[in-house]
Amino acid sequence: MPTGLLFKDELQGFYKSKVMIFLWVGLPVIALLFRFLSAGSSGQELPFTLISSIVVSSIGGTLAAVMLAVFIINEKNRHVYDLFLIRPIKRQEIIVAKFFAVYVCVAIASAIAVLVGAVTDFATTGVLPATLLSDAAQSLATTLSMIAVSCGAGVLIGVISPSVLVGAILVIYGGNQISVVPLIPELLGLPDAAIYTIALALAFAAALLGLAAELFNRKQF
Amino acid sequence: MSAFVTLRDLTKSFGGFSALSGVSIDIKEGEIFGYIGPNGAGKTTTMKILTGLISSFQGQVTIGGYDLTKNRNEIHKLLGYLPQSVAFQEWRTVNHALLTFGKLSGLTETQLNERIPRTLELLGLGDVRYKKISQLSGGMTQKVGLAQALLHEPKLLVLDEPLGGLDPLSRRQFKDIVLGLAAKGTTVLFSSHILSDVQDVANRIGIISHGKIKKIGTLGELKAQFTQQRTIEVLLSGSSDKWQQLSALNGVSGVTQPQQGVVLVNLEKDTQEDQAINDVVAAVAKLGIRVRGVWLLEPSLDQIYFNYISEAEN
Repeated sequence: MPTGLLFKDELQGFYKSKVMIFLWVGLPVIALLFRFLSAGSSGQELPFTLISSIVVSSIGGTLAAVMLAVFIINEKNRHVYDLFLIRPIKRQEIIVAKFFAVYVCVAIASAIAVLVGAVTDFATTGVLPATLLSDAAQSLATTLSMIAVSCGAGVLIGVISPSVLVGAILVIYGGNQISVVPLIPELLGLPDAAIYTIALALAFAAALLGLAAELFNRKQF
Repeated sequence: MSAFVTLRDLTKSFGGFSALSGVSIDIKEGEIFGYIGPNGAGKTTTMKILTGLISSFQGQVTIGGYDLTKNRNEIHKLLGYLPQSVAFQEWRTVNHALLTFGKLSGLTETQLNERIPRTLELLGLGDVRYKKISQLSGGMTQKVGLAQALLHEPKLLVLDEPLGGLDPLSRRQFKDIVLGLAAKGTTVLFSSHILSDVQDVANRIGIISHGKIKKIGTLGELKAQFTQQRTIEVLLSGSSDKWQQLSALNGVSGVTQPQQGVVLVNLEKDTQEDQAINDVVAAVAKLGIRVRGVWLLEPSLDQIYFNYISEAEN
């Protein structure tokens, strides 16, 4: 029950602090910019759906990890959590709620960006090849599973980092790179690699989140 | 009455620094316990252990019959806490903060709808209910902090330097609220650097220095144990040098005039105070000195505090 309450609370916070607008509008806008840049620089114009998928997969994970790390470090250092920790809830519920809130927001932003790409392609060409849609859907599924790993890394970095600057450096050094680990099945060319990738990503994200929760439980405030 | 809060041999170190060393305190139900000491003495560390924010320590904490290490959730249901620097997420309005913390403390929607306006009115925050906390002054934010601590009507209220940043009227209001809660049975642990504030509300006072409890007692007990020069203060009307003759009185060890119109008559160790006051009054009348007031100087909490802290420093 408290996890659900805290999750809803975090989402309300993102809504009120305009984080959602920047995410949900920002990511499609960046994809649009990429499309115009790519159209201007090469003779062959890539489908916007594909561009959106590339943008989401390259930016989404970093965005999620940075958001989580910065939120947690900032709130931890300002002693915002003190008023939560003295209430009859489990400590780990605070960061689990934050993980899911950021994940859901970034996932929705990613889906919106890819969807805008598909709609734009359809509006400009009048056709939307089934293969393009299926590729985009698979790419989005893979990207979302990688974003889950980035979120796990962001939470862990947020819990262990003493300052926002250290947290940002750690996210850039490792937080985003670690999210490519689930791509190993794809790189090895395994059959049904996408399924293994998603399963591996979820397990890896859960492990990172579990470790972060354990460290948060032991933390002295 | 049995102790509602029991701290036994609390010891806590940060690296090589000993923040608490064998701190033991009993606080009775409905009692206001004033906790005073200089910066870094261990007040906040004690409170953080008591509230479960610091979970790694030696010793034992029992609140309402629950052992903190085994029943943290049960204790958190009994607890209201106002930290020294209360902080909220920047996007929160006063109403939203109280809704969230109230729900997390187990209050229902019906209870919240009734208690939030009542608590805000009590603290003079009715007008800012839907304002962002980040737009409020430091004093108002502190009041919101108190509101979240009071909302669920806790059995134990832990207030760490709660009066910082409050104007004199708000301080008075704050103290009245604390006194009212204690009268209804709430146990209060209250720390402050402002000794007069503790003196105004506390049933008993604990003085801590360098992580060790120096003294615990009522203000009267602390005064009685405090050995200082007993002095009668005489306020004169007009100027006269005849006051020097008071040094000839029996039981008087010396007379000084720290400023024009004020004479301090120091008593010998065995002199009976009431008799000495009578003698001084009779003597000044006989000398023809016009007097505005005569009283025995009592040590203030400030003097008691500085005495114990000085002992610890030495």
